[in-house]
Amino acid sequence: MWQYVVRKLLWNIPVYLGILLVVMLALRVNDPVWGRLGKNATQEQYDKEREKLGLKEPFIRQYGKLLWGFDLGRESWDKPGRTVGEELAQAVWPSFWIALPALVLTTLIALATALVAAFRRGRALDRGLMAGAVVGMSISYVVYIILGQYFGAYRLSEWTGRQIFAIQGYDTKGSVWWAHFCLLPVLINTVLAVGYDSRFYRAVIVEEVTRDHVRTARAKGLTERAVMLKHVLRNALISVITHVMITLPFLIAGEILIEVYFNIPGMGRTLITAILGKDFPMVQGFTAVFAAVFIVTNILTDVLYALVDPRVRLS
Amino acid sequence: MLLSRSFRKFRKSKLALAAAAGIALYLAIGIGIFGGLVTREEAFERVGPDSVPGFGAEQKPEKRFGDVDFEMTLVERALKRKDPERALEETMLGHRRPAAVPVEELRKRLDAAFEIYDELEESKDLNREPELWPKLAELETAAARLWQPLEGWDTFSQHTKLVLGTDRQGRSILLRAVYAIKIALQVGVIVGISAVLFGTALGAAAAFYGGWVDIVVQWLYSTLSSVPYLVLLSVLVFMFQGSAVEQSLMPLYAAFGLTFWIGPCRVVRGEVLKIKQLDYVHAATALGQRRWRILLKHVIPNVSHLMLVQFSLLFISAIKAEVVLTFLGLGVKDEPSWGIMISQAKQEVVNGFFWQIGAATAAMFGLVLAFNIFTDALQDALDPKHIA
Repeated sequence: MWQYVVRKLLWNIPVYLGILLVVMLALRVNDPVWGRLGKNATQEQYDKEREKLGLKEPFIRQYGKLLWGFDLGRESWDKPGRTVGEELAQAVWPSFWIALPALVLTTLIALATALVAAFRRGRALDRGLMAGAVVGMSISYVVYIILGQYFGAYRLSEWTGRQIFAIQGYDTKGSVWWAHFCLLPVLINTVLAVGYDSRFYRAVIVEEVTRDHVRTARAKGLTERAVMLKHVLRNALISVITHVMITLPFLIAGEILIEVYFNIPGMGRTLITAILGKDFPMVQGFTAVFAAVFIVTNILTDVLYALVDPRVRLS
Repeated sequence: MLLSRSFRKFRKSKLALAAAAGIALYLAIGIGIFGGLVTREEAFERVGPDSVPGFGAEQKPEKRFGDVDFEMTLVERALKRKDPERALEETMLGHRRPAAVPVEELRKRLDAAFEIYDELEESKDLNREPELWPKLAELETAAARLWQPLEGWDTFSQHTKLVLGTDRQGRSILLRAVYAIKIALQVGVIVGISAVLFGTALGAAAAFYGGWVDIVVQWLYSTLSSVPYLVLLSVLVFMFQGSAVEQSLMPLYAAFGLTFWIGPCRVVRGEVLKIKQLDYVHAATALGQRRWRILLKHVIPNVSHLMLVQFSLLFISAIKAEVVLTFLGLGVKDEPSWGIMISQAKQEVVNGFFWQIGAATAAMFGLVLAFNIFTDALQDALDPKHIA
């Protein structure tokens, strides 16, 4: 098994080096300094800014610096006096408070839906659920978010006379701040993702159902419930865990839309604001951190996979 | 025919056939737009007052008053110009033109309308003063006399343009939603085809030749898929900011093209790894055929079904990603796309105006749903491993 883990670790090193290279190159195709200063800037200003950013150094040294500390100490262009690292530390929590509950809720609902659908495979309930998933997947995310905010924040407060969910913004004051600011985005996020996930989990479970050991279990005379929960779900959980682990880093980015719309100062919104404002140090730092998070979860997934699936250990 | 058995299986599913018909309809409209069915100018043209609801739905008196005000102002502005005749000739609201009467007569009619207008203007909230409503109807009749009554085809055309109402700039929602089909098909087809071709080429080469080619390709797609794709797309769009092509669809294509090939590449690589071991490939090698010929003649045709499935998956993703990127201000800039419409609609929804978001969502829903069903049926028919 350790051989497997080490092999995976080694493979991720060039991948990580590659990501940083791609990001650095992509951000330098259009000179970021000219983009920032505008066409009217003087050569002097330009040189000064380049010097300050360390863009004058040889490429390989810039690369090394980014690799070593993500350039977290750099000052943001749009927010003078704030470093990339400080901005990052601030942006992590709002993202966390939305992404994690949404992930848990989505996984639970999707898994339950998938189990029910697979249990009643081919019958009306299964068809209804899966048709609902396809229909739901055919509507743009953006529409869910817009309508979710309209009905959840505007209309609901009109009907009840109280502002239950905030229209936008984020604050940690008060005892119910999470429900007030985060619950509605979490619910919308769950609705968005649950169709995709339940289809995926159902496919996994159905595949598991056709396996020989399940047929044996049925032949032994086990009840359908016991077969489903003990023989099918346990094996399917391997795929579920992998799926959840892989989606983890994407979740932070997946919040981008919701964070932008609900004006929540998380990682996604910070990145988009930086891109729209041509804030070069922020874009570079954030992307590098996103990639690093991805690599780490990737390795963790592989290790976890090796732990739960004996076939991996043997190969 | 290679696919004939699968084709029969596909044909048996009525739902799949309906979906295929739906896609064909969208395609026909898209081709029609390329042929000039709806032009870009028409999609930008002002056809009436702003935020008119669809199907001639009842409007609040306050809004009706605003609309009359708008129509009167258009004529008034023309009359105040140095050369009123020419200004009037240039004034148009969709198919409607100012009444073809002498300028003096038009002035008289405008003054008559303004007399009623002034009485109504004193009211604070017309919605709450039903006694003024007959007056409002009177004003509407008076204002209508400023405009030439529509005839024949123009009537039909104008009604069609207003059937789903107008957006905040008074542009026809129907025309914009229909014109957006072209943009969607353009993005979906270009991105889908280029990504599938590129991905297949790399994936097949990687699996077939193995060795360092395989390592490089694997490294390439592991690298690109290690950045969440929305982040990667954003960075790529950032790359194009301020360049000459920023306003065009080029950044969008480049960003999608660079990220979307990963899916087909993985799938094709896996399949070719298996095909490579099959007897007929060994036989071809034993016959002394060249490697690249075997790849082109014997291997690629056997992954063509996967290419088809991947294309339709990517088509859906591209259309949906367009909306998301446009919403974030990184996508389509100056074409009427569904993304633009939905983004604009966020202001309107707050005021309870759902026509624009509804039209764009419905148009997109039809296409994406048809493609979703179509893809599922394709996978059922072509991919033995797919679970239905």
